[in-house]
Amino acid sequence: MTPDLLIQSTIIGLSIGSIYILMALGLTLMFGMMHIINFAHGAIYMLGAFAIYYIFSQWGAPYFAAFVLAMLLLGTFGYLVERSIYRPIKGGIEPTLVALLALTTFLQAAGYPVFGQLDKHVPPVFQGTRNILGVMISVERLMIIPMAGALVVGLYLFINKTKMGAAMRAIEQDKEAAALQGVNVHVVNGLAFAIGFALAAASGALMAPIFKLDPMMGEQPLLKAFIIIILGGLGSIPGAILGGLMLGLIDSIVATALGAEPAFLLSFVFIILLLLFKPTGLFGYAPP
Amino acid sequence: MRRLRVGVLIVLGLLLLLVPQLGGDYYVHVFALVFTNVILAASLRPSLTCGQLNIGHSAFMSVGAYASALLAKNLAVPFEVSMLCGALLAAVVGLAIGYPSLRLRGVYFAMVTVAFVEVIRLIAQLWVPLTRGMSGLSGIPKPNLLGVTLATKASQYYLALFLMLLTLLILWKLESSRLGLIWKSIGMADNLAQSLGVNIANHKLLAFMLGCFFAGVAGAFYAHFIRFLFPPEFGFLMATNILVYNYVGGRGHFAGPIVGAAFLSLLSEPFRGSAYETIFFSIAMLLTILFLPGGLITLPGKLAELRWWKSASAHSPSPAA
Amino acid sequence: MVEERIRSQSESRRVSSALLLETHGLTRHFGGLAAVNRVDLRVAEGEIVGLIGPNGAGKTTCFNLLSGFIRPTAGTIRFDGEDITRLRPHQVVKRGLVRTFQLTTLFQELTGLENVLLGLHLHSRRSLGRALFSRRRFPPDEVARSREVLEFTGLASQADQLARNLPHGHQRVLGIAMALAARPRLLLLDEPVTGMNLDESGRVMALVKTIRDRGVTVLLVEHNMKAVMGTCERIVVLNFGQTLAEGSPAEVSTNAKVIEAYLGAGLAHARG
Repeated sequence: MTPDLLIQSTIIGLSIGSIYILMALGLTLMFGMMHIINFAHGAIYMLGAFAIYYIFSQWGAPYFAAFVLAMLLLGTFGYLVERSIYRPIKGGIEPTLVALLALTTFLQAAGYPVFGQLDKHVPPVFQGTRNILGVMISVERLMIIPMAGALVVGLYLFINKTKMGAAMRAIEQDKEAAALQGVNVHVVNGLAFAIGFALAAASGALMAPIFKLDPMMGEQPLLKAFIIIILGGLGSIPGAILGGLMLGLIDSIVATALGAEPAFLLSFVFIILLLLFKPTGLFGYAPP
Repeated sequence: MRRLRVGVLIVLGLLLLLVPQLGGDYYVHVFALVFTNVILAASLRPSLTCGQLNIGHSAFMSVGAYASALLAKNLAVPFEVSMLCGALLAAVVGLAIGYPSLRLRGVYFAMVTVAFVEVIRLIAQLWVPLTRGMSGLSGIPKPNLLGVTLATKASQYYLALFLMLLTLLILWKLESSRLGLIWKSIGMADNLAQSLGVNIANHKLLAFMLGCFFAGVAGAFYAHFIRFLFPPEFGFLMATNILVYNYVGGRGHFAGPIVGAAFLSLLSEPFRGSAYETIFFSIAMLLTILFLPGGLITLPGKLAELRWWKSASAHSPSPAA
Repeated sequence: MVEERIRSQSESRRVSSALLLETHGLTRHFGGLAAVNRVDLRVAEGEIVGLIGPNGAGKTTCFNLLSGFIRPTAGTIRFDGEDITRLRPHQVVKRGLVRTFQLTTLFQELTGLENVLLGLHLHSRRSLGRALFSRRRFPPDEVARSREVLEFTGLASQADQLARNLPHGHQRVLGIAMALAARPRLLLLDEPVTGMNLDESGRVMALVKTIRDRGVTVLLVEHNMKAVMGTCERIVVLNFGQTLAEGSPAEVSTNAKVIEAYLGAGLAHARG
């Protein structure tokens, strides 16, 4: 591999890594609070991308407006899913997981008649290329890094600096104690659903101009996000960020050298070995 | 009541024996596939009973299917041997996946099994010299059982029926033994089971491997029956379908997955393979979880309760009157 | 030597035989917090020992450590002379150290008899072949033994009821019955009478004494002081994860440090 290629795949790795981080953060946040894994995360990513397709490229709204609208719409959808699926199941983890799986297959399958059988394309939002360390990188890919970064910082501030964020941390520590202190667990869980869904939608919205759109497009990022949260330790936010960066880089560099599929197989073998020898994740985070 | 149930089972058994005589090749084909689905659904049950969500059962079916098909095609191994090898390989692969992930929280296992579906699909797709990749593996010989080639669809139908009944018998015996009670105990309160001396990690693993073995059996039959294997077939959708059979049928009783698999596969037959099949399955699943958590098998009881309640309130005068 | 130390700490302790359970410097951290901090616990064969302390004192963590559900950060646990510090729960049970859980942790969807049969799990001959070819679900001797345990604990008439349909008090006793079926040498009871009325708790504590008289050593965590004082021969008080005091019920209940821990510094000061 030439140095140029290495630099290029590193930067592309960083931009893919930021998408993975957004996906994994939502998953790990929801897990920390409710001990569930949102299997619908990939389908929401897909819906986020299609929201950009319709709002931005079909109806002509500005990209940023479309981006925010996609997050708001799917965040609201997340809140509704909490109300109509999670809450009636009353905390049963297994039925919740199965219901979320059903929601996923429903959204994917319904995508074909609704969005059409043909792949969709979103026209580029940012034109041109930029010279970085002597390598030309498209601005489109580059812009993902600051935008995802801004969302991560925003989430960090929300969790650590606001009252709602404090309520979320309280539930993560001890649900009963938080409820006793007057935290409305339902509302905060609904918020976690909304944030998780909005982040997944943002990932899809950021990737929409780069990849082709089809109803199954969320499956790969979802599996990547699973690998990341196992890598970083389930429920750990720093773990999700570090794991996401690592997997993005490995993915991009290994995929450039060997191809995308062997890269996925390798990362799977790696997490199986990790679970075998260090089940708390790479960074030693012990789930509560 | 018991006599009635035995009677119904005997009539049902006779009807199943007569399908090739009464119906044409179409029904024979459909029912043989229903039997495969029943094997798959029932073999997921031990793991589910332990409270372990295996969302990758189709991957183990795929292992059994490819192993058996390749052994028969390339080495002319008879069906009974190739099927057994395929099923054993599926169980061994289950060991490799289950051992690291089953010692942890249930969601780890769920995530690993989902990812494994993709892993198996990619292997089948990339290992072209062996599996023919995306061109699909064709020319798989018809099942050759004890030196006799089962050439007709009807004879293959009886093979499927036999395999299903044998699988159900074995799984039923295990579930109604102490082993089944231990599985249930792990599913209900794993910490309590541990405190009574149950090695829960080993029992979860055993239940899972058992399921993988029978998924391998189903795969092997499928391979020699359809005689064409295509990697994406054994994907995420098939894996969730197997879960749907269990949930819609009902988790509380051994008959649940059987009822669920038979009911849903027959009902969705007109639109098999289309997006509408998936839409139908996922809606059935969501409605069941939200409104009939016990599944279809609890429906007669619920209806009877309702009728009893209605007639009771209609006939007996209210205390106020 | 250890014997002497115990004797010096507690004069009223029954003179008895060998040490059954011994922890040395048992410590467990959660995050930066020490939930259990250098606890040296000793239980001799045939004793009934109470482990008490205010909420959050580390009693339940102690039980989880002893029964192998969590691993200690430091320290050792010896049971009957053998180091069991690193063993997993099912291995600990095999050696005769059996625990119960707080509240009603039962197999709710199984009958009383089935619950106890699962307690017998360890001592049964289990094999896949037997499961496949035997017509009977459980060997008759195991069913008989389970009925005996139910009889002994006064639950015989409820053998075929689903656990979840039993009254609260009976559910708690069923938890003890299951533990007994596992043939413990040391029984760890986690809050056996909390939430019971006077009558019920009196019966359960009488049962605990009978269990001990049949040769099973008992270590129990309980908030109901009347029950603890009336049943235990020796009491260990934990506070903030550390041993605060140890002695006979009379000694402990007059210990100024214990009163302070339970009632707050102000009251103890007023007394003293």
